[in-house]
Amino acid sequence: MDSLHIYQNSYTFIVVFMFVAILLPIVALSAGKLLRPHQPTKEKMTTYESGIEPFQDARVQFNVRYYLFALMFVIFDVETVFLYPWAVAYEQLGIFALIEMLIFIVVLFLGLVYAWKKGVLRWR
Amino acid sequence: MDIQTLLSFEWGMMAPEFTILIVGILLSLLDLFGKDTWKKSLPWLAVGGVGVAIIFLLFQYGHGDISILGNTYVFDSFAFYFKLILLIATLLILLMVISRTVQQEVRDRGEYLYLLLAALLGGMMVASGGDLISLFVGLELLSLSSYIMVGLRKRDVRSSEGAMKYLINGSIATAFTLFGMSYVFGLTGSTKLVDIAREMSGSLGSGEPVAIIGFIIMFVGLAFKISTVPFHMWTPDVYEGAVTPVSAFLSVVSKSAGFIIIVRIFWGIFGNATFGGSDTLFATMIDFIAVLAFLTMFIGNLVALRQRNMKRLLAYSSIGHAGYILIPLVSLTPVSLENIWFYLLAYAFMTIGAFMVIYILEQQKQSEDISIFTGLYRESPALAIIMTIFLASLAGIPGTAGFIGKFNIFVGAVAADPAQYILAGTMAVMTVVSYIYYFNIMVQMYIRKPQLEGTTKIARLQSVPLILCVAGTIGLGVFPFIALNFFH
Repeated sequence: MDSLHIYQNSYTFIVVFMFVAILLPIVALSAGKLLRPHQPTKEKMTTYESGIEPFQDARVQFNVRYYLFALMFVIFDVETVFLYPWAVAYEQLGIFALIEMLIFIVVLFLGLVYAWKKGVLRWR
Repeated sequence: MDIQTLLSFEWGMMAPEFTILIVGILLSLLDLFGKDTWKKSLPWLAVGGVGVAIIFLLFQYGHGDISILGNTYVFDSFAFYFKLILLIATLLILLMVISRTVQQEVRDRGEYLYLLLAALLGGMMVASGGDLISLFVGLELLSLSSYIMVGLRKRDVRSSEGAMKYLINGSIATAFTLFGMSYVFGLTGSTKLVDIAREMSGSLGSGEPVAIIGFIIMFVGLAFKISTVPFHMWTPDVYEGAVTPVSAFLSVVSKSAGFIIIVRIFWGIFGNATFGGSDTLFATMIDFIAVLAFLTMFIGNLVALRQRNMKRLLAYSSIGHAGYILIPLVSLTPVSLENIWFYLLAYAFMTIGAFMVIYILEQQKQSEDISIFTGLYRESPALAIIMTIFLASLAGIPGTAGFIGKFNIFVGAVAADPAQYILAGTMAVMTVVSYIYYFNIMVQMYIRKPQLEGTTKIARLQSVPLILCVAGTIGLGVFPFIALNFFH
């Protein structure tokens, strides 16, 4: 089981990366704190909002329909993600991949039909 | 892969799965585009589909082992027998759904039906999965469909609460399962159960701790599906929140699928893995499962004593039963698998029957409290006697299917090597404890007087699943050898 040692050793990298990930913000922020001048004014203490003056509470309720549209978007997004590499490598993949893709598209199409018929695409 | 190899597989063996898939898609399309007059007959289409699938499956009785697409789908006797349980139980549950002609609590009746079929399909794929990935996808199809089914009573707060708890707990459990699978994959470099078993049959060497971690994490994750310790807490809330047929589905089909995947993975993979030179890895981990089984029986039966809500009571009793079914997993004998199968079959009939009686009473009295049984014998002697049969079977009184199941498990535990005396003893004691809460219902039915005068009638459609469940419970109790001979 030589492969096992490689398997276990590769966790060493993860541990190293974890330490780096934890240390990086701590070091950067504390170095910044030591170097920068500290002169707070009222303007500086407000929330930074791309230069615009903040005018509202940060927690806003969005219309739930955005959420449904986002879900519908994911359907097509995933479809593209799968279809694109398949189309590029079509020559090598052959007939089996074609059948698989057809099944995939039919299933997604059923989902679209369902959403359409249930009125998800209509903004009321 | 070219077209020749693709066509050379015996696709005909997947006929039951294809039937369920096609009927499910047909149902969803008819529900979307069909006329309202057709929609009334949709449940019968679902029942017909499951019936046809059972017939297809029965034709495969005694067929040799088959694998499709490099062991992604396997057909063996194990898959056959356990798929039969899943299909029969779903058929009974669909009949239960049909029995309620005026559907007030669930508006989306179409979804109700095809989600049941989708969940069944997931369970069947679990029974036939020969690859960790196809097992996992089947399990997730079952889980995701169940999450939605629990939340079908949209206007009910308890239903939403149950669905939310189920979803969150289920996601955590899924993460556990996948994490455990990743260890097994990392150790062996394959997701195919056959390859993993072959890879593990050699000496594991320094891989032993990794294999043990994978074993424990995967078992803990799968404990969610069979609602045993440590993932049992969701059960009462979810059963209470879901519509009663869905509770029955979770209690029987979902739980059976959980046991199927556990047997498939743990006996298939770890049953061959040598550990420390002599024993198999599974044999060394027996104590771990035994502790879980002990705790599950203990918690399920003791907490059930204090329940007033009938669905919560059955939920805790189902936790207890899951503990009993874990015993044959631990006490390895040649008849272990047979015992698990028989108990699951008996459990399907008696639990669905008990849920059906509750469903009838709940519709008439608008309550799920134990008081719905008060004076039932005066109101409807037939229903009281039928409920008595189911309770007797759940408690394990001789003459019923539950007794034979428990007896076989008990004998198996004592006869195993090493004998599991502690588990067998716990099972006996906990069975006696369970008498208290099962007989409490009987006291309510026979001795207490009804609060309101009146009779409870059983409609004709409601009697169909009741009669089938009574026939199954009594039939398996009096002639268990019919089922056991069929199994061999």
